[in-house]
Amino acid sequence: MNYHFDWTPIWAARGLIAEGLTMTTAVSAAALAFSTLVGLVIGGAATADSRAMRGLALAFTETMRNIPLLIHMYIWYMALAFLRLPAFTCAVLGLSFYSGAYVAEVVRAGIGAVGRGQMLAALATGLTRLQAMRLIVYPQALRIIAPSLASLFSQLIKDSSLASVIAVAELTYQAGAIEGQTFRTFEVYITISLIYLVLVTAVSQLVLLIPGSRSEAAAGRFADA
Amino acid sequence: MPDVILKNLPFLLHGLWMTLNLSVWSIVLGTLLGLVVGLVRFVRLPVLNTLALVYIEFIRGTPLLVVLFITYFALPALFDYHTTAYRAAIFGFVMFIGAYLAEDFRSGLRAIRPTLIQAGLATGLTRWQVLRYIILPQAVRRVVPSLFNQYVRLVKFTSVASVIGVTELTGAGLLVNAREFHPVTILATLAIVYLLLCSVLSLAGRTLYARFAVRT
Amino acid sequence: MSDEPIIVARDLHKSYGTTPVLRGCSLSVKRGEVVVVCGPSGSGKSTLIKCINGLEGYQSGSIRVEGVEVGAKRTDLPKLRARVGMVFQHFELYPHMSALDNIALAQVHVLKRTRAAAQERARNLLARVGLEDKADAMPADLSGGQQQRVAIARALALDPQSILFDEPTSALDAEMIYEVLQVMTDLAADGMTMIVVTHEMGFARRVADRIVFIDAGEIVEDAPSEEFFSAPKTKRAADFLSRILAH
Repeated sequence: MNYHFDWTPIWAARGLIAEGLTMTTAVSAAALAFSTLVGLVIGGAATADSRAMRGLALAFTETMRNIPLLIHMYIWYMALAFLRLPAFTCAVLGLSFYSGAYVAEVVRAGIGAVGRGQMLAALATGLTRLQAMRLIVYPQALRIIAPSLASLFSQLIKDSSLASVIAVAELTYQAGAIEGQTFRTFEVYITISLIYLVLVTAVSQLVLLIPGSRSEAAAGRFADA
Repeated sequence: MPDVILKNLPFLLHGLWMTLNLSVWSIVLGTLLGLVVGLVRFVRLPVLNTLALVYIEFIRGTPLLVVLFITYFALPALFDYHTTAYRAAIFGFVMFIGAYLAEDFRSGLRAIRPTLIQAGLATGLTRWQVLRYIILPQAVRRVVPSLFNQYVRLVKFTSVASVIGVTELTGAGLLVNAREFHPVTILATLAIVYLLLCSVLSLAGRTLYARFAVRT
Repeated sequence: MSDEPIIVARDLHKSYGTTPVLRGCSLSVKRGEVVVVCGPSGSGKSTLIKCINGLEGYQSGSIRVEGVEVGAKRTDLPKLRARVGMVFQHFELYPHMSALDNIALAQVHVLKRTRAAAQERARNLLARVGLEDKADAMPADLSGGQQQRVAIARALALDPQSILFDEPTSALDAEMIYEVLQVMTDLAADGMTMIVVTHEMGFARRVADRIVFIDAGEIVEDAPSEEFFSAPKTKRAADFLSRILAH
């Protein structure tokens, strides 16, 4: 192996790396918020009494999950180009609908775990279905799925790397840019993957701090997003 | 069928074939790798166990795209060899899915009750015989749903190979779009094809599981 | 019953970490004897018999099975275990194999019999325990009592010199206990050497030659069956008996 290691250009480019890191965090955080929203809505629909609602929810999750994330992003970026959404928004939307389908599954299970009895008790006190969901069921479900959401954040950080393909200047994109300038191919990509590793590990460790998180079980849930 | 698809059908079909090719090779080789690494982790062979742990943790914390960049750009630069995008993609996919499958295999192996293992030992079987005839057959059957989850995930991931220039289905679709500029039709078609591929694979997994599941 | 002890345990000491489980147990079993081991839960009785076939290790003392020292480093444990059968509390049939295959497996891979010979022997054993029509059934399709009888057949398949029973009926519903005890009684009548950990005192009284009472890791009493039931020598044994028999 006659590769000469030279890490100084990487250090010199730390500004770009920091920008990329900021963008990665921004994309992931925005996607986390939006996919949680999507997941809550669809997951709620999946436990509705109406068969049509449940059918629609199922169709949504099956479709969104079986389309590759890359295609999701391209759809927003190219097929829906008339909307003139900036690349950042396209990436967030693509990520959110894809991950939202997975969150929906978790939410559905979470609502199921809350138990029908809670809904019945709420209705018995005169609340409407909607009120019961909002005040009684959802809050409990949220507490149950909180650990899974933290794992989802982990997964989103990794998935956000695909945003580089539609020219969002996040971490992977910057890696390519730095490589183009410095030709330190190995150093750049190893550095980037170590940064991802640290990010993802940090988030996973934070999961364990959430009271009542059944760590491995929850963490494993999103490994197949 | 829309015109733009019909006109470019041979090219797109070749892309589909490449997707299937990537998927099959990665699934087969990745499963073998995952089984070996999972066993190493389960049995805790010295030295190899630590290597396996490092490998698994590294892959699980790294995005697929970065893994492909490493296999296509970084490693060839480091070790001074030439590789094609296709080979780099297979290498990357196998390394990637192997780590996740290894963990699935390991969970399946660990789910076997220790008293069942004792029962096997009590009839005079050696540890290796118990592993081969009692633990593995059960663990593999149990693990089928998780395996197929990963396989479906892999089929979706083959689309990322387009980024390093492999002309699989997504790559082919994008090239056609660059020439014909019909993104809605083309992307919709790509989406539908992937949907079909993944649904069929999921169905196969569920059927296999139903046939071979071990009832306890 | 000959006068040769085929299982001899002397001054066994075993601890799990810092917790002592067996404190100086000694036991001697002759060929053809049926020994029942009883005691309160946590007394170490399961651990004791698992030491005999090497499933559990021990820190000091000695166990010789047919002259072979179980704890010695050079001992071929699989070979030893082929001569000592074991039946577990939760049956532990291999769930992915039929009853027939459960019984045939060790014959083929440990005794190196041909599949055909192993299967024939398996069918004979199934008939012996009254389950000849269940050869192709999967464990999940069998009741607890049936599973345990298959487990006994599986233990017999290697033609062992002795069989260890670890609470064989504790996981069974009342109506199935009888069928398993019946098989065990027949085995004893055929002259099998048996060490049985159990709470079934009726069985012990009818079938056992000797009762061993163990409490908190020590063998407190070791007496011929009649003696133990009519006049236990120690207060602890007497208390245990009155609690158990008051059931």
